[in-house]
Amino acid sequence: MFRSSVLFLLAAASAFAHVGSPDVFYDGQAGPYRLLVTIRTPSVIPGVAEIEVRSAANDVQTVHIVPTPLLSEKSQNSGEATFAPVPDLALRSKDDPQFFTGSLWMMTSGSWQVHVTAEGPQGKGDLSVPVPALSSSTKKMQAPIGVMLAALGLLLVAGAVSIVGAGVREGQLEPGLAPDAARVRRARWVMAATAVFVLTLAALGGLWWKSEAGDYDKHIYKPLQMSATFENSGENAGRLMLHLTDPGWARWRKVDDLVPDHNHLMHLYMISLPEMDKVWHLHPDRVDAGVFAKDLPNMPAGRYALYGDIVHADGLPETLVSEITLPAVAGKPLEGDDAMGAGPPISQADPNNTTAQLADGSRMIWEREPGPLHAKRAMFFRFRLEDADGKPAHDMELYMGMPGHAAFVRADRSVFAHVHPSGSVPMASLSLTQNAGDGGAAMAGMAGMAGMDHSGMGMTHALPPEVSFPYGFPKPGDYRIYVQVKRGGRVETGIFDARVEK
Amino acid sequence: MASTTTTISSVSTASVRTAAERVPWYVWCAVFGVTSAMIGGQWDISWHRSIGRDTFWTPAHIAIYMCGVLAGLSCGYLILATTFGNLSQLRGTSVKMWGFEAPLGAFIAAWGGVAMLASAPFDDWWHSAYGLDVKILSPPHVLLILGNLAVNTGTLILILGMMNRARASFRSRLEWLFLYVGGVVLVGLMLMIMEFSWHSLMHNGIYYRVVCMVVPLVLAGVARASEKRWAATTVTAVYWLFWAGMGWILPLFPAEPKLGPVYHQVTQFVPPEFPMLLFIPALALDLLWSRTRDWNLWKRSAVSGLVFLALLIAVQWPFSSFLQLPAARNWVFHTNIFDYNAHRAWMHYVFTKPDAPLDFLRELCLAAAAAIVTVRLGFAWGDWMRRVRR
Repeated sequence: MFRSSVLFLLAAASAFAHVGSPDVFYDGQAGPYRLLVTIRTPSVIPGVAEIEVRSAANDVQTVHIVPTPLLSEKSQNSGEATFAPVPDLALRSKDDPQFFTGSLWMMTSGSWQVHVTAEGPQGKGDLSVPVPALSSSTKKMQAPIGVMLAALGLLLVAGAVSIVGAGVREGQLEPGLAPDAARVRRARWVMAATAVFVLTLAALGGLWWKSEAGDYDKHIYKPLQMSATFENSGENAGRLMLHLTDPGWARWRKVDDLVPDHNHLMHLYMISLPEMDKVWHLHPDRVDAGVFAKDLPNMPAGRYALYGDIVHADGLPETLVSEITLPAVAGKPLEGDDAMGAGPPISQADPNNTTAQLADGSRMIWEREPGPLHAKRAMFFRFRLEDADGKPAHDMELYMGMPGHAAFVRADRSVFAHVHPSGSVPMASLSLTQNAGDGGAAMAGMAGMAGMDHSGMGMTHALPPEVSFPYGFPKPGDYRIYVQVKRGGRVETGIFDARVEK
Repeated sequence: MASTTTTISSVSTASVRTAAERVPWYVWCAVFGVTSAMIGGQWDISWHRSIGRDTFWTPAHIAIYMCGVLAGLSCGYLILATTFGNLSQLRGTSVKMWGFEAPLGAFIAAWGGVAMLASAPFDDWWHSAYGLDVKILSPPHVLLILGNLAVNTGTLILILGMMNRARASFRSRLEWLFLYVGGVVLVGLMLMIMEFSWHSLMHNGIYYRVVCMVVPLVLAGVARASEKRWAATTVTAVYWLFWAGMGWILPLFPAEPKLGPVYHQVTQFVPPEFPMLLFIPALALDLLWSRTRDWNLWKRSAVSGLVFLALLIAVQWPFSSFLQLPAARNWVFHTNIFDYNAHRAWMHYVFTKPDAPLDFLRELCLAAAAAIVTVRLGFAWGDWMRRVRR
């Protein structure tokens, strides 16, 4: 069996639950109140997460927030009960009464949930948002604080040596007497010895610091690694093989504890490089522990970026990153939930264009608010579908149980986020949250899902011709947005470009 | 005429003596500072065991850093006033450093104040780089503790310089203050070794080794410097009363965990563990030292170290067994109060896994060696302190 040249393994340094996009966005119902919750996770754990809650209407008076591990201690650790800490009252903005903020400590790495309780004239409502709490980096010391601490350190070392010298020279002299030459000489020797001692202590302290920092580095999140190979001959010709390996990070994370998200263990985005003009949204099958396979559809020869979204049994989502160079693939037709889309090359990107022309003559329109886009700002990305004759599309369907799927990818591929109308939270994680224990209350509370008949997920229902995604770009730059919706049994992909400012 | 002169002279001498024999405000200020840090340290640990999370501006933190501020202010004043201003009469009893003049203790305490204040931005950065650890022993916390120990030692030596120059009655008053600060030093060190001195560890060798590395040094040093009959007992009594008092007072105040995961519902501040009964070995040491004044110092240290360790085992081994019993689960011994993040296993009142016999023996030998060496070092430190005049 011949295997094609393989490929690069990209260990995305800050990749978790998407790549380079750690903030969590969730749009959902807390009882009668519709809330957009943004959770800005800390880069170190234990650390403080910043929580923003925006109510859709001015009908919320107080918001309480509290973090707990996503799975109860009972299921995590031999039958122990876990109690919730006292919820914090989120601060209501004076200028914007629909906007609430708070800070929460997350003490251990892993899968957490933030429970939000809103109260107003219509009573009380709850929702829970799953959050992966993972250390992503070690902060380097900024120059000013480094200089200040170094100066204080020098002062303390010099001070300690001089104090010991003064003590030996004069500390035991009767009042009024001056030290003789022998005392002065002795003090000098003791000062020299003290200097050696203090500097040795400081060096040992430095070694300790280094060792603590090394221990901390072990806690920094390392995503599962994914290597991709392509079988271009033999009985599995045309098959993409994905091998997941654990680089060693947390014992509780396994390569084979995955749970289905929208009925699939993995959602794989393949994006053509370097122009990013073609995208495939595929669903490889698990063939062995940590091994996935997918018979590829027709694909032109070239280089592809791979983003595999998975969810572990404890609700921790990961995006696995790889890259592959393929020969021209004469593959099988797309089937099931698999989809493909094409647009203009990124070298011809027009960030002002808000219309994506679709293959059948229909159009997808980004109802973008005027003005520039800014990083770190939670907002709704709304897209409208219209027929070739300009009429609203009437045959919208759910695509894998969702009104739509969107992938936000930075042009340099340092950011990848797979977002749904309810936000960046995977449904599989959401189903584990506190208010999902009673048969999917959380799912029913998702925005975009309320009021729908879920009896036949994926079947045709009266869906509006619009879909919206809550998200915030993590940093400035050029982004490509791949929006996928389903209508009349077909998945349509609109590709848009965005220039994001600071 | 002659009688008039005598009268004026005696009045003048009396007023000078009265002024000289009053404990100056800057000493009280330093004593207040070290007390504040002692309370703050215990309060902060309880805060993390009950509420869990904090900010820089908790009252416990303010009490701790107040020590650095008060030491900095009082000793800074003392240094500047002695060098340039209205305390120039102290120059004769001062040491010189970097062109400044002041009593030696003032420089040591000021150094400690700077170290404590320097630890604040260091700790803040540490938390932002490596997470909000709640460990007692991390590099910035050790700098804070070292700074606090320096302020305690500086205060001790500030009192000592005056004490060693004072006449009998004033010396006696200063000695009580000296022993109190000695107790504060002991409390600071006991806080530092708290992670090795839970009562569930008291059937393991490491507990005895760690205690022997710390306690005999303070007892021998302070007792030898003060020459009070019951000095070691007094120092341990200060530790015991403070520690037990905090244990009884803290649970009177409500607290709720604000951090998850919460394994145990907490409704009040979690007290420190019941203090060790160190006054029993200390009492034995006081008795031993009063009867062995003419012994060789090494022989005295060897016997003292072994007596200390033997009595520590004799007292703490059964006492920690008692603390595991239902009889100790009350407001006096408060073994029924647990940290919010105490795993259920901790609540089964069991000792940490016992050492293998050889390991235990090795630890006890190390503990004995540590006790002997620290007593000897304490004697040397005490001898040095006895000679401090400035």
